[in-house]
Amino acid sequence: MLAWLEGTALATWTRESPSIWAYPLVLTLHTVGLGIVVGASAVIDLRLLGVARRISMPSLAPLFRITLWAFVLNTLTGVLLFIADATHKAGQTVFYIKLGLIALALWNTVLARRVVLGPTQNDAAPSSRHSRLAVVSLLLWFGAITAGRLMAYL
Amino acid sequence: MDAFITWVQATSLSHFIVFQIWVWPLCETFHFVGLALVIGLVGFFDLRLMGFFRRIPIDAVRELMPFAIAGFLTNLVTGGIFLIGHPEQYLHSWVWWMKVLFLAVAGLNALVFELTVGKHLGLIKAGDDTPVGAKLIGAVSLVSWLGVLYWGRMLPFLGQAF
Repeated sequence: MLAWLEGTALATWTRESPSIWAYPLVLTLHTVGLGIVVGASAVIDLRLLGVARRISMPSLAPLFRITLWAFVLNTLTGVLLFIADATHKAGQTVFYIKLGLIALALWNTVLARRVVLGPTQNDAAPSSRHSRLAVVSLLLWFGAITAGRLMAYL
Repeated sequence: MDAFITWVQATSLSHFIVFQIWVWPLCETFHFVGLALVIGLVGFFDLRLMGFFRRIPIDAVRELMPFAIAGFLTNLVTGGIFLIGHPEQYLHSWVWWMKVLFLAVAGLNALVFELTVGKHLGLIKAGDDTPVGAKLIGAVSLVSWLGVLYWGRMLPFLGQAF
């Protein structure tokens, strides 16, 4: 199955095409997507922690949409990067740790979205629930970046 | 330049960076965290400067900038560590110099912002569109930071391969 994935035309193109539009572009888009997903999440997290309180919580709604689209970009580019090197990456424990951390971070984002856009949100002081969601988000994304980087070394 | 490279390579700091196997991956991890802070936080401010997210008061978005600066300083330090570790790899690469050029543009643009639009940011209220100058500064910032990321990512692929 993994070897078949690696042998598909798409995987071969991603891995072996000498074009700067193949592997380097896919990797660059994956990095831009990382910047947008984690960076936009960081904006939401900082607001939940009480930074820039004059930004009303509901006005952050576009950031969740941007995060979603950047996440879609990284799912697509991530699939390409995976199939290009499937037999190796599928054997890496740190790859599964990365996927697990991303899944948890996404779940946390869904919970944070409910709080930020929900009717009972309070623009004044951050609650302990707000802080908890923000800190967990920051830690999970930090962990996902660490695991992703370690895939190149382990 | 080559004499300088040889001198840097001979320092014990350079040896430490290259031969302690945990230093490079650790710095890369923080370099990516700093990247996300700069792209996400500065990018958000840039988009507001360009006139998007008008419901959000622009001077409130500016309050996020100290965290973006923290991300940038993280990358300046970790990038400096990469440079000391392998000066030959960067100083001989035109791609790295392109990255430096885009960094300079981003820096100059930020300076122009502070000296012009940044001084009267309070005049732009929530709901307001932004003046043309602000839009231009926001767009230049966004393009130059994405350029910094692009050239950084291209380092192993273009020019002198690592």
